[in-house]
Amino acid sequence: MENNSNIRNNKKAAKGPNQRLRQRTAILIIMILIIGFGAAIARLGFLTIVQGSSLQEAAVGQQLKDTTIPAKRGTIYDANGKVLAESASVWQVVMSPIYFENDEQRRAAAEGLSEILELDYDNVYEKTTQESYYVVVKRKIEVEARDKVLELIDKLSTDYDCGSVVQLLDDYKRYYPKNDLASCVIGFTGSDEQGLEGVEFQYDEYLSGTPGRIITAKNARGTDMPFQYEQSVEAEDGNNIYLTIDETVQSICEKYMKQGIADNNVLNRGVCIAMDVNTGAIIAMVTVDGYNLNDPFTLPKETQKEIKKLPQDEQTQAKNEALSAMWRNKAITDTYMPGSVFKICTASMALEEGRVNDNTSFNCTGSMTVSDKTIHCHELGGHGSQNFVQAICNSCNPAFIQIGQLVGMNKFNQYYQGFGFSQKTGIDLPGEAEDTFWAEGTMTDVDLAVASFGQNFSITPIQMITAVSAVANGGYVLEPYVVSKITDAEGNVIKNVERTVKRQAISEATSDKMNEILGYNTATAGATAGYVAGYKIAGKTGTSEKIGSETISHFSEDYIASFCGYAPADDPQIAMLVFFDTPSGDAYYGSQVASPVFINIMSEVLPYLEIKTEYTESELEYVDVSAGDYTGISVSEAEEAAKADGFTTTVKGSGDKVISQIPAVSAKVPTGGNIVLYTDDTSRDETVMVPNLVGYSPSEVNSIASTYGLNVSFSGASDTGVVSTSQDISSGTTVSPGTVITVSFSSSATFND
Amino acid sequence: MAPNKRMMLQADMNRIYDDEYYSEQKIKQEKFFVRPSRQRKMKKTKIFSIGMGIDLPFCIIILILLTIGTIMMFSASYAFSYYTQGDSYYFLIRQLIFIAIGLGAMCLMSFFNYNKLHRIAPIVLAISYIALLVVLALPSDSGVKRWIPLGMFNIQPSEVAKFALILFFAHWASKYYNKMQFARYSVLPGAIVFGTTALLLFFEPHYSGIVIIAILTVLMLYIGGMKTKYLFIGFVIMVGLVLILAMTGGLSYAMSRMDGWGQALVYTDEDMWQTTWQTRNSLYAIGSGGLWGLGLGQSRQKYLYLPEPQNDFIFAIVVEELGFIGATIILLIFALLVWRGITLSLRAKDKFGKLLGIGLTSQIGIQVVLNILVITDWLPNTGISLPFFSYGGSSLIMLLAQMGIVLSISRTANIERQ
Repeated sequence: MENNSNIRNNKKAAKGPNQRLRQRTAILIIMILIIGFGAAIARLGFLTIVQGSSLQEAAVGQQLKDTTIPAKRGTIYDANGKVLAESASVWQVVMSPIYFENDEQRRAAAEGLSEILELDYDNVYEKTTQESYYVVVKRKIEVEARDKVLELIDKLSTDYDCGSVVQLLDDYKRYYPKNDLASCVIGFTGSDEQGLEGVEFQYDEYLSGTPGRIITAKNARGTDMPFQYEQSVEAEDGNNIYLTIDETVQSICEKYMKQGIADNNVLNRGVCIAMDVNTGAIIAMVTVDGYNLNDPFTLPKETQKEIKKLPQDEQTQAKNEALSAMWRNKAITDTYMPGSVFKICTASMALEEGRVNDNTSFNCTGSMTVSDKTIHCHELGGHGSQNFVQAICNSCNPAFIQIGQLVGMNKFNQYYQGFGFSQKTGIDLPGEAEDTFWAEGTMTDVDLAVASFGQNFSITPIQMITAVSAVANGGYVLEPYVVSKITDAEGNVIKNVERTVKRQAISEATSDKMNEILGYNTATAGATAGYVAGYKIAGKTGTSEKIGSETISHFSEDYIASFCGYAPADDPQIAMLVFFDTPSGDAYYGSQVASPVFINIMSEVLPYLEIKTEYTESELEYVDVSAGDYTGISVSEAEEAAKADGFTTTVKGSGDKVISQIPAVSAKVPTGGNIVLYTDDTSRDETVMVPNLVGYSPSEVNSIASTYGLNVSFSGASDTGVVSTSQDISSGTTVSPGTVITVSFSSSATFND
Repeated sequence: MAPNKRMMLQADMNRIYDDEYYSEQKIKQEKFFVRPSRQRKMKKTKIFSIGMGIDLPFCIIILILLTIGTIMMFSASYAFSYYTQGDSYYFLIRQLIFIAIGLGAMCLMSFFNYNKLHRIAPIVLAISYIALLVVLALPSDSGVKRWIPLGMFNIQPSEVAKFALILFFAHWASKYYNKMQFARYSVLPGAIVFGTTALLLFFEPHYSGIVIIAILTVLMLYIGGMKTKYLFIGFVIMVGLVLILAMTGGLSYAMSRMDGWGQALVYTDEDMWQTTWQTRNSLYAIGSGGLWGLGLGQSRQKYLYLPEPQNDFIFAIVVEELGFIGATIILLIFALLVWRGITLSLRAKDKFGKLLGIGLTSQIGIQVVLNILVITDWLPNTGISLPFFSYGGSSLIMLLAQMGIVLSISRTANIERQ
């Protein structure tokens, strides 16, 4: 047997059964424990330590879900903190259709969503079949729809076990509480809240903020893992912007501009810019007609009708063109020939250069010939001999040709550049246009002659008012701006805009002189249309032809009627340019079309801005005062009190005590106006018909009104040759006795452009 | 090394002792259960090995692995369980029931005189073949037939087959220990038993089972005393066989499982990307673990990224949560179990016990190593579960019962006296 052989042979004994088993077991242990386990541990070590980071990165890549949190866009305020544009919370419905497991789930989701969100079922169903993690179903849904979607998600998760497929994400929607107010300045945002026009576009980087992210762990089905693995980067809300625009002034301007457009049947919109002459801040900037910022892609009905008449293939293009025309901020993107308003600049140059003084004499024969070209004056009979101030007041073209010649071509160009016409004003709004002027060396004597009175070159309205502001403020050409302050979401000021002086175009002395001349112009002479009682206003009318021609005649059809002025003349605060492009009514002169609007605006804006009034004696007659409270006291006491305030009284009814009064307490009533005191209820039913008050002198208006027992507030009235041009309550309206009717007056005879 | 007198004497004694046990009368005289109480009275002070009692360290290691394994199984499964069963505890509760049954079986087996198995080894082998035939006869949806459904849990006949194979070879090699150097006593039965088992598994198909069966056959024959040269011959034949099958397309299923082996992280096309999904996510999980792991319960890959994280790929989640350090400690505990199991088996009083104990313990070590190599993409993705960790009724109960046998063997071993 083997055992015996082992004992006999020592060498073989080592391989005896147990010894062999031990050896082989040892080898087995080495194989399994050293090699096997060693390999396993080494492999694990390699994967965890050497490849760990790259594998982890790949793992994290599939485990994490990245959700963007939209940032709230900053609010746009007016100068006084009134909200002009604001973002409100809305929601976005998205889904990850890749997680749908069967068609039943898809149908249920598509059915629910299409019903709630008023979408086409087939369309939504198509989306549910996409192999995608992110499909937008509908954006910017409101609270009610959101609540319904939440219910649907609940239902989907309980009934179909696919609730996590549909999700709601935070979103914001832009609201413009004032609709079309300052539309061309504020602009609007697109579907992704990106600024498309105006301040919204210009300051997009400030307003938009930085979107945040939520990084959450998700399982392989895309739902969140239950454990805490969430990293979020908060969205940084956009900055708030404070405009220099004053909502009150803006709405006053818009009100009268719209009226002006309607009254004069203006074909190509109008512009009104109000500027703080000392800082360059734009207080109001109106382009009428504007558009509703909450619905910027809808054209006016008439335009839509016109487009519908076009052939099908041209409609889209026509619509786009109409939209971009509607959005254009005419005040800065369109150029026009400034016409006589530019004479302010020409006169300033001549004064600054010392080529003229008050007594320099100019002769006007009704026309003037320059290099064989005859240039007419608007006064065909000629103004005859006139001094410098009279020439301005007459707005005499031949005189200004001569003034231009006195200045000379080089200096004229120099000042043209000095006033900032040759470059963009740098206003912080998009799309500013550049002027169109003669290239250097190409200007002829005829060009200089017509340029002297603002013809045959084009500038933007903003350039014009900036230059006029420079004339008013001591010669300083400022950079106009509409944003005064930018704050972050917490209210910390990020940026404060101060006045930026570009250069001094004329001396302060010249500026003072111009203020004096232009103030005289509105008060007594040519531009009396720009007269506002109680205020010294400097200004100049302008009627320019839209199409430049070498021989200026008045037979061209299209005009731009403008008025540019500032107040008070002796301490200028606010400058304003009003212009209407192509008035097609009976009147087209600046003094007829633009001036009344200017007066109406100024007579409301100046008191609002608390600019000090200085009435002349004759003006005091028309000054409005506040009606006191005469109710609750006996009739005799009330009559006495009213008399003390400078009013006459009419008592209606048979009671002992005054129970009500018209005009109401604090209402503006002209000095010497009539207060109707009611003593019983029945008497209050009495009414009067408003008479026609247009076409009369102030005194005539006064007498007519008092016959009817009505009060009149005079706007733009003065002693010298004004006639009433409009009344705020039209004739034929039934009102209570004592009602105050505002009547606007305008120069009756002189169209000195 | 020169043999000393004592060793020779010992060898002789063992043989004599073995011969005594082989006598049928002796076995009949033995009581079915060893009475531990009586044995303990004789030698009761040893902490680790209480005389004829069970080997306490081995038992403790089993319990430690079972505890860690269960905790990790719960951690790995609860997300999957929640999403697929609607109940995070679904797998845990079932596993705990299996553990209870398994521990009962272990306890029972540890009191069972393993020598009884000596005689019934061929019967057990026959039963396992029947089971393998039964599973082939059962209908299957997927075409893969591995399970015999038995109500609450399924029986995997291949698990029984592994045990039966070890048992049979332990029986055979101890019976013909001195003739094992002859090919007809070693190679021939080896080839027949392995061939039959492998053939049955081939039709399931269950290739990882064949691989384990092959390794176990070689292992058992090797420690049983087969000549080393046959080992090499057998190896060459087996490689040749595999190559022939691969050429003729007989291994299409296995080949398909080989697809994407080692390519899990490289994107080639969508189909391949889906095929390697499990392996890739296993690698992601392991890599995410790093040195220290994400912490117990903090795995992210178990959230449906790693399919069935409670099964074969559980250790990937273990590494993700406990890191390389934790995984290494667990592997060292496994190694300790294997070491202790083999060494205690070597002290068994009879050859059958030695071979059976070594075989059963080695099986665990082999499964662990293969499992780790699969989840780390060093071996193709085949179904090899991790003992004590992977969820599964029959395999766990089978495993614990086998450990019970090793414990029973340990009663006869006097490890301390060595």
